[in-house]
Amino acid sequence: MGWIDAVAANLLASSAGLLLILALLMAATTRARTCILLFGLQSAVIAAQIAALARLHHFAEGWAVAALVVVVKVVAIPWVLLRITTALQTTPIAAAAIGPTASVFVGSGLILLSFAVVRPYVAELGVDPARLAAAVAVVLIGGLLMVTRRKALMQVLGLLVLENGIFLAALTTTLGMPLVVEIGISFDLLMWVFLMGLFVFRIRDTFDHVDVSRLRRLRG
Amino acid sequence: MLTLLLPLLVPLLAAVAVLAARRPGAAARVAGTAGVLELAAIAHAVIRIHLAGVLQAGPYLRADGLSAFFLVSIGLVFAFALAYSIGYLRHIPAGRFSSPRWFYALAFLFLFTMLAVYLSANLGLLWIFMEATTLASALLVGFYNTEGAVEAGWKYLMVCTVGIAFALFGTIVLYLAAVRSGVAGPQALDWAVLQAAAVRLRPAADLVKLAFVFAAVGYGTKVGFAPMHHWLPDAHAEAPSPISALLSAGLLNCALYALLRFNAIVGGALGPDFSHRILLGFGVLSLLLAALLIVVQRDLKRLLAYSSIEHMGVAAIGVGVGTPLALFGALLHLFNHSLAKSLLFFAAGNIRERYGNASLDEVRGLAQALPGTSVGLVAGGLAIAGLPPFGLFLSEFIILSALFATGHYVVAVVVLASFSVVFAALLHHVQPLLAGVAPAPERSFRTWWPGLAVMGVCGLCLLVLGVHLPAAFSRLLNAAVAVLRP
Repeated sequence: MGWIDAVAANLLASSAGLLLILALLMAATTRARTCILLFGLQSAVIAAQIAALARLHHFAEGWAVAALVVVVKVVAIPWVLLRITTALQTTPIAAAAIGPTASVFVGSGLILLSFAVVRPYVAELGVDPARLAAAVAVVLIGGLLMVTRRKALMQVLGLLVLENGIFLAALTTTLGMPLVVEIGISFDLLMWVFLMGLFVFRIRDTFDHVDVSRLRRLRG
Repeated sequence: MLTLLLPLLVPLLAAVAVLAARRPGAAARVAGTAGVLELAAIAHAVIRIHLAGVLQAGPYLRADGLSAFFLVSIGLVFAFALAYSIGYLRHIPAGRFSSPRWFYALAFLFLFTMLAVYLSANLGLLWIFMEATTLASALLVGFYNTEGAVEAGWKYLMVCTVGIAFALFGTIVLYLAAVRSGVAGPQALDWAVLQAAAVRLRPAADLVKLAFVFAAVGYGTKVGFAPMHHWLPDAHAEAPSPISALLSAGLLNCALYALLRFNAIVGGALGPDFSHRILLGFGVLSLLLAALLIVVQRDLKRLLAYSSIEHMGVAAIGVGVGTPLALFGALLHLFNHSLAKSLLFFAAGNIRERYGNASLDEVRGLAQALPGTSVGLVAGGLAIAGLPPFGLFLSEFIILSALFATGHYVVAVVVLASFSVVFAALLHHVQPLLAGVAPAPERSFRTWWPGLAVMGVCGLCLLVLGVHLPAAFSRLLNAAVAVLRP
């Protein structure tokens, strides 16, 4: 079955590039639905990466984790988020504090930055620099989404992207955490998305908008 | 096995049972019964832990002296909060997710997650349950469904989850350090294994340092360390008062417990200096900032929230000094603070029910309108100001003397100065509430006697701890300190 191994190795080699492109697209997109789909795609790439690692390093837990990622992050969470956008029926524009051009520009800067910050660790850890840098870049771009997007839902998405980055970092450096821990984290994340959805509706019902930048009652 | 499982199973079953109790009044009875059972289960577990030293149940549950100490603390606080809630909730109208049924169910889930943090044998599980504490309590913070409550709940979910994501990264980095130092894979997150093998982590010193910094920022967000404290005043002020008490007296301790575990491992690997300096820094910053912000507060519950930040800072300073005496003082301080803050939030709850708000500008004539509550408020106020004969005086005195004994003179002066500012601010804020003439109540309100009785018990405990430490309690504290300084 040499060709499957070859495919897995290829997938692993190209996943960093794919993840970086997806992250940049997320920074550029202005529509909430597109961004949710991009998040699903990003999670799918991560799941494929885990499956490839499971194949190449012969560890069975990897298959379970990959399946978990597919169920929770590729299917369940995007589905919930899409349901929320449909139910809210607000303008589909993911209003941002900075325009898409500036966003991509900052995003590219963050990617360069991540390549710079992982350099000292690469030699010590013996990992692929591009994959580690991609993980850090995904974390940073998740942060960028959270800081620059004003709609409640987009901030949720930003944190999910950030978490994906942390997950990737764990995967790149240690082949992931033990299975029990991964299951627990996924469960927490799913519950968190449900609760956030609940709060998005409550914000709409009590404030008549979902613009988080206008939540300013509590100060000091 | 069952000893450690029981305290976790009771609240889970209680949550289900409470949700199933649909008749009015039934929820409170079920919750009360479950609360008594849970107290018995916790007491049983604590005694067994005390006899055995360390209790292990399967690969994922473990409790030692430190866990036992925190179990006692959360058990007491939860019992107080539950007893107080049963009277407090009489006025709550039934709504979706905000009926008394949901209140009790979520409170029991919240208790479950906090107990699970204390009983986890694994830093990964500890993180999972720490995040679950946020999830379980977010709906409770937003329970009133007002503009303020929804905003506070949103902010709480968002800020704490971002914060705790840092802690996840810290946990992963520590796992990486352990795996690279040759600790076997599945055990590389077990805190006992890590603490025993801490010396082997020394070659990966950079990673261990990175792990602690991320954990300190992450769990520190939930402790309410400045400058990550922004969620805390909002959540404490907008939540129903028994929940404010559970947050301040339960959740913050829980987050600090996570940091204590990290501190023990990192201290073993790198020597105590690195992690202690970070905790000392966060402690001083939180204390200073909270002391200054207490002065300008206009709402009683926000004031109490900032006071929680202040006292968490004091406890962090105690841990940061790190001598056995200082650790003893820090743990005692956490315990005292839990009692005092429960008392004060219960008092604030009565005030909010009677006056419709807890604004420091509007509440007047408290001594005349709510005599029992105002005695509680004054006693609690004196206690958190650190005056004798209350317990916080003793623990603050211990931490201060440890600061002087170890030559942290600058920190000691900052601490003393902050205490004076807080004392003046509390006097300035609380005294006007008592005098004057109370406006007519917006709706009929009578304080419920068990609520007052709970406040009395809190005050009495504080008084006893200020005068004399019972022998059993000293043993509990010493066993916890022994875990932190083997």
